Amino acid sequence: MDSPTMQAAQREALAKRILALSSADRTEVLVSAGDAALTRFTHEVSNQNLAVENVDVSVRAVVDNRTGVAQTNRLDDASLRSAVARAVEMAKLSPPDPLTPDLPGPSAYAPVDGAYDAATAVAGANVRAGMCSPVFAAAESAECWSAGYASTSTSGLTVANTSGGVASFDGTDAALNVKMTASDSTGFAEGYSSAAGSIDAAAVARTAAEKARGTANPSSVDPGEWTVVLEPAAFGEILIYLADHFSAQSFDDGSSFCSDGLDRSYFSEQFTLSDDYAHPLAPGMPFDFEGQPTQRLSLVENGVVKSILTDSYYAKKLDRVNTGHALPAPNAYGPQARNLVVAGGSKSTRELIAQTKRGLLISRFWYIRTVDRKRAIVTGMTRDGTFAIEDGCVARGVRNMRFNVGIVDLLGRCEFSSEQRRTGSYHYSMVVPTAKFERFAFTSVTDF
Amino acid sequence: MEFETAAGRALDTAVARGAEYADTRFEVDRAERIEVRNGVVATLSDATSTGMGVRALLDGSWGFAATSDLTDAGIDAAAARAVDVARAGAAIARRRVGAAPTRAYQDTFEARIERDPQDVPLGERVALLLEAERLLHGPAGVAVGRAWLDLWRTDKYFFSTIGSRIAQRLRQTGSGIEAMAVGDGDVQVRTYPGDVGLYQSGGWEIVEAARLIDEAPRIAQEASELLRAPQCPSGVFDIILGSSQMSLQIHESCGHPAELDRVMGWEANFSGTSFLEIDQLDKLQYGSERVTIEIDNTLDRGMATCGYDDEGTRSIRSDIVRDGVLAGYEMSNDTARAIGRESNACVRASGWSSVPMIRMCNLSLRPGNVPFDNLFDDVKDGIYMESNRSWSIDDRRLNFQFGCEMGWEIKNGKRGRLLKNPTYGGVTPNFWNSCDAIGDARSWFAWGTPNCGKGEPMQTGRTTQAAAAARFRGVDVGVGYRG
Repeated sequence: MDSPTMQAAQREALAKRILALSSADRTEVLVSAGDAALTRFTHEVSNQNLAVENVDVSVRAVVDNRTGVAQTNRLDDASLRSAVARAVEMAKLSPPDPLTPDLPGPSAYAPVDGAYDAATAVAGANVRAGMCSPVFAAAESAECWSAGYASTSTSGLTVANTSGGVASFDGTDAALNVKMTASDSTGFAEGYSSAAGSIDAAAVARTAAEKARGTANPSSVDPGEWTVVLEPAAFGEILIYLADHFSAQSFDDGSSFCSDGLDRSYFSEQFTLSDDYAHPLAPGMPFDFEGQPTQRLSLVENGVVKSILTDSYYAKKLDRVNTGHALPAPNAYGPQARNLVVAGGSKSTRELIAQTKRGLLISRFWYIRTVDRKRAIVTGMTRDGTFAIEDGCVARGVRNMRFNVGIVDLLGRCEFSSEQRRTGSYHYSMVVPTAKFERFAFTSVTDF
Repeated sequence: MEFETAAGRALDTAVARGAEYADTRFEVDRAERIEVRNGVVATLSDATSTGMGVRALLDGSWGFAATSDLTDAGIDAAAARAVDVARAGAAIARRRVGAAPTRAYQDTFEARIERDPQDVPLGERVALLLEAERLLHGPAGVAVGRAWLDLWRTDKYFFSTIGSRIAQRLRQTGSGIEAMAVGDGDVQVRTYPGDVGLYQSGGWEIVEAARLIDEAPRIAQEASELLRAPQCPSGVFDIILGSSQMSLQIHESCGHPAELDRVMGWEANFSGTSFLEIDQLDKLQYGSERVTIEIDNTLDRGMATCGYDDEGTRSIRSDIVRDGVLAGYEMSNDTARAIGRESNACVRASGWSSVPMIRMCNLSLRPGNVPFDNLFDDVKDGIYMESNRSWSIDDRRLNFQFGCEMGWEIKNGKRGRLLKNPTYGGVTPNFWNSCDAIGDARSWFAWGTPNCGKGEPMQTGRTTQAAAAARFRGVDVGVGYRG
């Protein structure tokens, strides 16, 4: 059994000890403690099996509206004293910025149900091995080979500052991510939860294997505009590339699609997007990395952009409310969403498919990148389970294709399933439904 | 050697708990970053991270555990955990894959630097960026200027149960500028030098070589002009790629597919597999006979240059593509043995807390014999593209699409008007086989990539791709705007 990480009370005591060392006008301390373990597998063998524990301290010092940040993971007095001194020294060498905000004072934030699972916090390597075993069994019975990972982690964050603000959060996470490969086809499925015990490894494995078998002998279809039904993993991967447009920084510098103004309809009425740390499928941190309580924010309501995300700096610069979406200092990227949620529609996924005469069902994308920033045009490839839909039925597997689409345009002709699912990629946690888009543009086809 | 006592403790504990082989890596990583954005110092930070990782082999299965707790208890716990993790992996494995390295080294390595960045006062470093960024403003439409500087110092110590004792001091430096112009519903970005800046192994001399202040006015002017430039046409054209774009082309379409762990399916679920399959070794016509691409982990100024990799294997040079034919892979000890070869020292971890894995290191496209200006000579109707803006390639590394910041028409051998939003796409071996000219050594440059992502959990690797400009015939251009 692995050991749990540094607890909130210890982190808060450490943060106070560091604050007492600072001579700056204002000081903020972040203490992040984590224990993360992951078993990666391929061909029914664990090829990377790891466990990492660390405690990091970050000190932000403000002197005469000049800011410096220093970080260390050594917790002895000399190292902490040195980190504080470096932050102060750097601050003194930085030019003053009149927009430097005050640090948030004491504030209340709501506890988040379901973010922490005690069993997951102490899950050992055998727990992750136990998640892998049904995958290996499914691969063998489906005559596939598997690749993916099982992970468990616990993370704790404390933010404290000289304005009296103190905020602490503890969370756990678990994931099972599976790709199955058959002779000429592949399939993918995933499971995420704050509790490892609630991930049904056998079901995830079965879904991935069924997709791999179901796309055997894939045929080519012509590139061009298609009606597509995107499963949550695929939709979520595209949505990431819209998220930054809601940052106050890109709104302010003119690079966001909505820089020309809010309260305008940019999308279909079907599209409603929020940032919600308290969603039961993906409970997250109720404050940001400055300790500011995070708002459960409606970004798009029925196609109309209602809000942008701010932190203390952009709240002051744009004279807006601080929505509590700061990244850890120093942050040159501006405020960011952490918990995107797309509202579900009125039809089931089965109905969305049944009402598609000719289209494609897509499990997952790969390597999406922005082609054109302002217009939010992105490119990428389908991967691990692409099916033709014919007369409302999933008919057969098709080869992978490259797309080039404008996300804002695409969300002007969309429909969503009533079922939402948690998905995740990189540092985003998202809750999204299956999405159906008209005129999704594919520009080339592969031979596999 | 610093950490020797602690390393001995870790290795003894791992062996006592059942490890058949173990190695341990202690690292002190220090990263300073300064970033100026629109006249404001948006980032001024100094981060130090110290810790150790233990890798244990038991019954053909690897386990890895890392900790920042360097007390005796912390070291014991990490070593024991590495063995426990390996044992859990062995219990479910359908076969055995791990094999212990057999060759031990006792050595030190130190990266070449001419001027330690620490000798340049912090105030001077900040002032340079403030001035470079200030010079980005002025031309119409420039809404955002950025200038940045990264100083990385790594001191690492590797010990193993077969007797390796290796100390390495690595120093890497990078800087760059960016102008973003906004207007008429468009956003155009120009970066310099290259799309990520100039990143190399070395000291302050790398920043001086970048000449940010000298080039800032031109970069800002180009960003502004791009707003008014015509759209790059769509169709089949001959193209010439500048050397920094060639660096990215090599990275995505040769560097990643030649990682042997990908070929063997170890990355299948995340960064994918490869079309460079083992039965194609010494057979596949990867590119035209002009194309030779080598791994050189001893390359002067290479971001991945080191004396030894993170398995304790000595750095060497070897070929991936020789005269157009697939000739080798980037390999670890395990994977090399699986195909009857020896490791070419391509294993890296992004820090003490990361598990070592095969990483693209320094790749070099050998220069040709055509002076840069002469690449244009027999291009009747083509496009010259420079500096990457967008990159995407499928999970077997075949179907790619890239976009560049700038393009220029080529008409009858002459470079013509500026074009915005140039994109091109293709299939890897077809593309490289269409290469009919490579620039000479004068346009050859070692471009560092500081942010190569691979692995789960994601690790950020530092690589270099050295290349000259090159010419390709009959390429699909304008694909990014066809949707």
